[in-house]
Amino acid sequence: MDPVLAELTSVSKSYGPVSVLKKVDFSVRAGEVHALLGGNGAGKSTLMKILVGLVPATDGQVHIGGQPLSPVTPAQAQAMGLYLVPQEAHIFPNQSVLENICVGLSKPAAAYRARIEALIAQIGVALSPDTKAATLEIADRQIVEILRGLVREAKVLILDEPTSALTPHEVDTLFSRMRALRESGHGLVFISHKLHELRAVSDRITVLRDGYVVFSEMMSDSADADILAAMSPGVTALDARVAGKAQSKDILLSLKGMSGEGFVDISFDIHKGEVLGLTGVVGAGRTELAETLVGLRMRSQGKVTLDGTPFVAKSPSEAVRQGVVHLSEDRQQYGLFLDAPLFWNTSSFVYDRLPFFLRPGRERARFDSYRDMLGIKCASPDQPVSSLSGGNQQKVLLSKCLVAKPKLLILDEPTRGVDVGARNDIYRIIETLAAEGTSVLLISSDFDEVVRLSDRIAVMAGGYLAGALPGGASTDEIAELAFEAGGLAHA
Amino acid sequence: MLERIARDRIATLFLVTVAVLLAVGLAAPGFLAPRTASIIWSNGLVLMLVALGIFPVILTRNIDVSGGSILGLSAVTLGLSLNAGIAMPVAISMALGAGIAAGALNGFLVAVLGVPSIVATLGTLGLFRGVMLITTGGEWIEDLPEPLKMLGARSFAGLSVVGIVAAVAILVVWLFLRSRRGRWVMVTGDNRAAARHLGLPVKRIEFLAFVWAGVMASVAGITFAAQIGFVPNQAGSGIELRAIAALVLGGVSLLGGVGSVAGVVIGVIFFTSIDTTLVFLKIPAYWNDLIGGAMLLGVLLIDGRLRIALEARDRAARYRRGDQTSSTTRKLEDAA
Amino acid sequence: MKRYLMRWEVLLLGLLVLELLVFGFINPRFLRPSSMLFGTSDFVQVGIVAVPLTFVIIAGGIDVSFASTVGLCAITFGIANFFGLPLPVALLVGFATGALAGLLNATIIRLTGLQPLVVTLGSLYMFSGAATVLSGVVGANGYEGIGGFPAAFTALGYAQIFGLPMPLFVFLSFSAVLLVLLHLTRFGRLVFQIGQNENAARHSGMPVARVQMLTYVMTGVAAALAGVMLSAYFGSARVDLGSATLLPAITAAVLGGASIYGGQGSVLGTIIATFIIGYLQQGLQMSGVPSQISSALSGALLVLVVALRHGAALLRDIIPVRTRQID
Repeated sequence: MDPVLAELTSVSKSYGPVSVLKKVDFSVRAGEVHALLGGNGAGKSTLMKILVGLVPATDGQVHIGGQPLSPVTPAQAQAMGLYLVPQEAHIFPNQSVLENICVGLSKPAAAYRARIEALIAQIGVALSPDTKAATLEIADRQIVEILRGLVREAKVLILDEPTSALTPHEVDTLFSRMRALRESGHGLVFISHKLHELRAVSDRITVLRDGYVVFSEMMSDSADADILAAMSPGVTALDARVAGKAQSKDILLSLKGMSGEGFVDISFDIHKGEVLGLTGVVGAGRTELAETLVGLRMRSQGKVTLDGTPFVAKSPSEAVRQGVVHLSEDRQQYGLFLDAPLFWNTSSFVYDRLPFFLRPGRERARFDSYRDMLGIKCASPDQPVSSLSGGNQQKVLLSKCLVAKPKLLILDEPTRGVDVGARNDIYRIIETLAAEGTSVLLISSDFDEVVRLSDRIAVMAGGYLAGALPGGASTDEIAELAFEAGGLAHA
Repeated sequence: MLERIARDRIATLFLVTVAVLLAVGLAAPGFLAPRTASIIWSNGLVLMLVALGIFPVILTRNIDVSGGSILGLSAVTLGLSLNAGIAMPVAISMALGAGIAAGALNGFLVAVLGVPSIVATLGTLGLFRGVMLITTGGEWIEDLPEPLKMLGARSFAGLSVVGIVAAVAILVVWLFLRSRRGRWVMVTGDNRAAARHLGLPVKRIEFLAFVWAGVMASVAGITFAAQIGFVPNQAGSGIELRAIAALVLGGVSLLGGVGSVAGVVIGVIFFTSIDTTLVFLKIPAYWNDLIGGAMLLGVLLIDGRLRIALEARDRAARYRRGDQTSSTTRKLEDAA
Repeated sequence: MKRYLMRWEVLLLGLLVLELLVFGFINPRFLRPSSMLFGTSDFVQVGIVAVPLTFVIIAGGIDVSFASTVGLCAITFGIANFFGLPLPVALLVGFATGALAGLLNATIIRLTGLQPLVVTLGSLYMFSGAATVLSGVVGANGYEGIGGFPAAFTALGYAQIFGLPMPLFVFLSFSAVLLVLLHLTRFGRLVFQIGQNENAARHSGMPVARVQMLTYVMTGVAAALAGVMLSAYFGSARVDLGSATLLPAITAAVLGGASIYGGQGSVLGTIIATFIIGYLQQGLQMSGVPSQISSALSGALLVLVVALRHGAALLRDIIPVRTRQID
């Protein structure tokens, strides 16, 4: 058997009373691709960050190349041949692409130029080493991160969801690079949500759930059903789609030829009480479209009508006043006031409707009513949001949106980083809202989620509307639209 | 045009400086002489040294406003030890030691304890000045020995010893920033989390940047004492603001990661030229603060607007789809 | 109950009592009610600027220019009086100068998107320059300043209201208003939320720019109040009236619990911290420490406080007790 390059033994990690990893064993051998799978918040990223020294483990040992190492620092781990390509690219905006890739290497950047140009050509992307990194798109940023990993020729290369923003062609070339690395004796860890991708390149698979290793087998010995069952056992599986709902014919919001930052010529209608799924890959322009609608970005062209009258919002508060409420995709950065009490958060969209001398008692009572309705688990309305779990934070954010009594609720990735239980709750809330007549624009990169919830589906790719599908369409149909046009825009 | 001014700050600033000097020369004959250049250089030395010290700190996206107090502390250390009869090399080492210690304290507070750099250095600004006043008992230090003053007098080719030291310091910083480790300073300020992720010792980099600032402030203190021959109570107070102003003018971004040595040098020379011109035009000294402050605010305003305009361009470039090749081939190395 | 006992303000109050006891032990004269009461006139100007500065810091900004705004407003007030304008008009000129100074800071910060520290450092410099030039205009020299105020006005500096010296009364009533404004009103809530997460505030449609601007204007107006009060107290308007408030005021805000990263702070904390710092300087002076050094000690105190607070946070990270969940 090939030698073990890196090994984590009985590693635990806890933040305060919350344990994220519980006695996890994990290893990477020379010449293998080890797949790591798990739901959101299962602890995959934390485990890998412990391996490369970015996060200290609470308990357990790290061995690299047979040597014990504790605590690891990022510099040490890299010196010993470990490199983590993170999920979200770390970019130095004011440096060139070349500098970005070569920072931390043992020679000045110029020495690596030829190799990097060759790698860029191999992957087949249009990327100049001299571009200032600030101008790169998300997909290109991810390519920069992958190039960092490749050029380092790390003995152990860890790829954390590297494919989320890539086109199928780029994914294929990445896989062939990964196979080449494997043949030359490197060890790789590959994290992804997409089982078919994992199957395409991996030799071994480990599944994490709630901080435990629940499954660890050779890839060839494990059936899809077993893996899925390990990931989310039956009791917590998602509810099935409620099909055949009666739809209103009344149009609430209508976009005609709308253009702005990152999207061009978008037209669609949203009916009253309808859930319209808007999907695509990362960087397709969906979030930009939503932010433009509520006045966070400049609209360059197009007409929007709400209830038949022209709709213009120069700021989110104008949008809220007209009944259009937006839940941001990044709840911690743009949605919540993490250090503020829960009821402050709930009141924050309607701050201008509060009396000048505040009446916190009323606000607490209002929060309590939403707590019951949404099932928010908390000790008191006065505790800070940061003390809640991701799922409960998301529900607090939902309460903030619902207080504004929206006609149209725009939900951007409403279940990102939310566990299965809370995800089911959120789906139920969305369905209840739609049944009560609220229209929902659901933006999500999770095709399953879009299929599960939407009455109709619109797909965006490369800034354009790639097509529309009826409710209940298959994820393959969506993927075809999302990637095909995306590939065109990239080439 | 906007692009040119913003992208090539140094050349623009150089042209403006020359234009100002020419205009004054036209108004007041006798101004345009080699002597004036030499005066500007020696007048600007202290500012240059302090600015070169703060430069790496700002590159790492921190700030150091204690430079003036470190300057005073070092000058007092030097003056007291010289007047106590200690040999000059030893006294100079002691002054440098004071600077290193002061810089290390700043670095410890910021890099190790994680205190916001502005709070930490505002505090040490008062602290170092207090220590200086305690050691002198509030008295000025006068009658510094001749050999020290000789360091400030012109000796080789119109340059003084301290002038040569400053020139060497410029060269050292320039060479360092071109090196592999020098890049680390830039990228730490550009994106600290990313630098840490890539295995750079960010805390050590930040700590050393503050120590360097302390060393340069103490070299500035020695220069100050050598040039004027005594050490007043308020030696160096307010110079950190001028240094920061000169840096910003020279295209160093306060948000870290962007800046060049050439920019620092030309920024300092610009500020010193203006001061020298005011003296030459016999404008009363009490106008200096007003003009200096107004100029700084003016520069910040223009700089901020330019930066916002450039960011809008970068953003537009990011959203422009399809014709990426044309936008990426542009040479953007001096972008700032 | 425990919640209230563990509050930072309570700790500060304990610290204040301890400090008074120590100085009283060294020098019993220090604890005489009259010296404690009238001694406040030497330092309440620090509190007058520190309380609105707390607003600025909570809302995510910082202002260091108030130290010269105090002198600038005193000078414009003095000049208006010098040219024979009636006292109310002259006062209006002084306060308008303060408001304009704050407005200028906020506008430049807004337009450039630069760090407020750098911008206000520039205006710190420019305002004191402007004050120097203006006082030169009426031929006043730096040490004597602009005098010639009506006797009724200068008497105000030593007047008493409800047995309190005028400056202390002004400070307490001014801070009481701001206390209510910060902790009980919608405006105060906005100040906190904008400081806690400016992006989220913008995404929630909150008037971020307007609220931040108001905090700077408030600080400018407070600086004018301090300048006018000090002019009455000293009988003349000088350029350097406020220069000694810079470090103590920032120290008071930070010691009072304001986080330099925004989103945290308390008016009550700043008020108590003002007394801690003020009595520290006075106690040291009464114990024979020169005034120059005691004011430099404010710097040391600032360093110590933030070092302790951050050091404690560092310890908390190493020994994890914080309850931050990751689902």
